[in-house]
Amino acid sequence: MKKRAILAYILKRILLYIFTIWGAFTIAFLFFHMVPGDPIAAYVRSMQQRGRTISGGENLGQEYRKMMGLDGPLYVQYLHYLENVVLRFNLGPSFIGFPTPAEKHIFLALPWTIGLLGIATLIAWILGFALGGLVGWKRDSPTSSLLTNLSLVISQIPPYFIALALLFIFAYTLLWLPRRGAFDAAIPKGFTWAFIKSVIRYGTLPALSLVIFALFGWVISTRSIVVSILGEDYLVYAKAKGLTGGKILRAYVLRNAMLPQVTGLALSLGFVLNGALLVEILFNYPGLGSLFRDAIGMLDYNTVQGIMLMSIVAVLTATLLIDLLLPLVDPRVAREGKT
Amino acid sequence: MGMRVLFARSKLLVIGLAILLFLVLVALFQPLINKLLIGDIDPITMGSFDSYLDPSPQHWLGTDRWGRDWMAQLVLGLRYSLVIGALAGSVATLIGVIFGFIAGYKGGMVDSTLRTFTDMILVIPSWPILVTLAAYIRGLSIPTMALLLALFSWPWGMRAIRSQVLSLRSQPYVDLAKVSNLRDLEIIFTELVPNLLPYLGVSLASATVGAILAETGLELIGLGPGGDIITLGLMINFSLGWGALALGKVELVFPPVLCLILIFVSLNMINMGLEEAFNPRLKRVTGG
Repeated sequence: MKKRAILAYILKRILLYIFTIWGAFTIAFLFFHMVPGDPIAAYVRSMQQRGRTISGGENLGQEYRKMMGLDGPLYVQYLHYLENVVLRFNLGPSFIGFPTPAEKHIFLALPWTIGLLGIATLIAWILGFALGGLVGWKRDSPTSSLLTNLSLVISQIPPYFIALALLFIFAYTLLWLPRRGAFDAAIPKGFTWAFIKSVIRYGTLPALSLVIFALFGWVISTRSIVVSILGEDYLVYAKAKGLTGGKILRAYVLRNAMLPQVTGLALSLGFVLNGALLVEILFNYPGLGSLFRDAIGMLDYNTVQGIMLMSIVAVLTATLLIDLLLPLVDPRVAREGKT
Repeated sequence: MGMRVLFARSKLLVIGLAILLFLVLVALFQPLINKLLIGDIDPITMGSFDSYLDPSPQHWLGTDRWGRDWMAQLVLGLRYSLVIGALAGSVATLIGVIFGFIAGYKGGMVDSTLRTFTDMILVIPSWPILVTLAAYIRGLSIPTMALLLALFSWPWGMRAIRSQVLSLRSQPYVDLAKVSNLRDLEIIFTELVPNLLPYLGVSLASATVGAILAETGLELIGLGPGGDIITLGLMINFSLGWGALALGKVELVFPPVLCLILIFVSLNMINMGLEEAFNPRLKRVTGG
């Protein structure tokens, strides 16, 4: 019986996952295609503005439209796109580096973003959860309230601004860390210690700005959950039973605070990505953010659309993984078969 | 609940409102402040002064590359940023309230459909879409911009309002109103809306933050409203473009950054303060 409940839960989550990807992407697609004006015409115009003459612009536009899957009524374009993406995993040719397919650019950029974001998010969550738990546990001490007030301010500063301050201090004034890029171009790429060291050195500032922003947000939310748990009846009972402070903190407080915070992690990912794109652009980090900036500059429809699809899938996959791991943290979820 | 009781209940709310009031007053009296700072000169006219002057009693933050008083521009930028944020925030709150009400009040199928839709909007990385739209429609006007920003910042408010309506709906006095044959709209406006006001405030504050944040992001990659519209984000973009960090001209980069941080922090304090004041169980949770 128990096994079946878990299976049902997993199946339900996966179906919802596919449905949400489809829905979110369809909404995004419609937004793109409701833009007044013609992306191809805009592209040709912007090329001409840069002083490149394009002979036979009208015919070329027609050809481009066909190639990019932008001809015919909207529903035909939509079906065409879906068919290409789902059956052939083909996002269409890109404008940046034409005619390289868009997915090639994206796959080159994706590991950088996932690496940067994944590591930063994980560090921030663990540190923030631990610190928030401690601050909530010792809520009456002056250090704790100072930390809380500090977190209230810092958690509201967008990572881009934190990055600006870090960049100014560590890269422009102290000259300790590099200003842009993700690795030292002088070192050959590969799994050598020298290269990995340069990747860490170059990644420190972008990652740090994402960590600082997210960490203090986790401190606040963990603290408020811990404080509300401290008022629960079962905690009074645990104390009356004579359990020691450390045991109560681990077995009752943190265990119960973990669940909402893991769910919160899933919810925060989309937002984190928005902020990370700008930070990448600031540091010229070769991930999705910089690719996105280049693609927007060229009005590269397919690449932009591909990045959208990629980030929707990435955010939802992370959410799915967290949802599937939840039963391990909280057996109640599996028993009910729903979140 | 009277204002005084409300303020007594939350220090955070008082501090947040005070900061915001100060910023709004500065924005409102921008023409007067401009006169005090640089007389009758338009803050965006190029070449009014020498370029890259250091901060001095005449030019509190110095001048920019094009010889314009940076402090005067800061006040103007604050005004535009707040206008865009408030416009977008109000529209987003309106959308959120309508959907939240319908979902929470009707319940059942309507509720789950609207909730699924909202969750989908939430996972769409909204900022890239905004950027794309802005890239195709060059030179957005302020109302168009505000509308676009609002389209992506309503879901948070919707969720807050929905869950509140859901819990209010099962209160005995609402049942009483239903039994006594009041129409839906009547119930909504006489019984529910008064109890939802703090949540409207929360929703407005968070949508405004979201909108200003997104607008700043657009400016940072050079896709703002353009024209003569100076916003805080545009000022940051300009100063970075001039290489202010490398030149060591911190007074160009960081004042607009600090202004934006003040806006975000104060709105968030109002947010948390409202929750604290109306949900006394949370008192001490936020540590104010």
